[in-house]
Amino acid sequence: MNCPNCGTSNLDNATVCVNCGRSLSMGAYTPPPPPPSEFSAQPSQPPYNAPQIPNYLWQSIVVTLCCCLPLGIVSIIFAAQVNSKLAQGDIPGAQDASQKAKMFALIGFAVGIIGIIIWSLLFGAGMLQAWRDAQAANS
Amino acid sequence: MTLKLRILSVSVVAAAGAWVLYNFAPTAYGFYPPCVFRMLTGLQCPGCGTTRALHHLLHGRFEEAFRLNPMLFVLMAVALFALPSVLRGRQPGFLMKPWFAWTAFAVLTSYWIVRNTPLYPF
Repeated sequence: MNCPNCGTSNLDNATVCVNCGRSLSMGAYTPPPPPPSEFSAQPSQPPYNAPQIPNYLWQSIVVTLCCCLPLGIVSIIFAAQVNSKLAQGDIPGAQDASQKAKMFALIGFAVGIIGIIIWSLLFGAGMLQAWRDAQAANS
Repeated sequence: MTLKLRILSVSVVAAAGAWVLYNFAPTAYGFYPPCVFRMLTGLQCPGCGTTRALHHLLHGRFEEAFRLNPMLFVLMAVALFALPSVLRGRQPGFLMKPWFAWTAFAVLTSYWIVRNTPLYPF
């Protein structure tokens, strides 16, 4: 199976991505269950240091450039906050910023798409009108 | 979708886009989607001019392309830098670096502001 975060192919029974550490089970990140307690006298080590949190940076930049919206810039700010907070070890803060970066990128993308759909309808209507005018002029 | 299939489909779409862009100049044909921000405000966004610049670039006219959107060249340099990891199906490491994200924010925002002022050279 492929990791939904970074696309790396993993074994089908893998629980976390070998590249980025994202959980490959459905839904949000959940830590793997601890091993049976009777054999784990020593505290169990987490399989990786910190969960990788997507920052949606390239998506934000694409939204800023293609959908031309200030929402993309807001999304870039939150994406940068993800990086800064991860660097400081603030995992909950980074997850919060990640959610906001995703939200603003999605809203910006949606607004851009809706704008282009409206423009396409107007463009199509204009083409149809021009064609009808040409028909009327010919007859 | 496997990585190879994804790379292949992106390449096919890019080649088709390049063919359309090469043969139909954005200034002569109106079917290219416009910039929503520019339509609403009349101001230029950081991405404005990319379509026209890519058309010039495909015809080898680097100077015209640069005048229309210099940011495109910065973006292409970054994309080139990211390409090896992307082809291996990995997220480029620099995307998670604080300095890169804050620089991207500062560059894009200042470019957005400056290109709408008389200070902008092009």
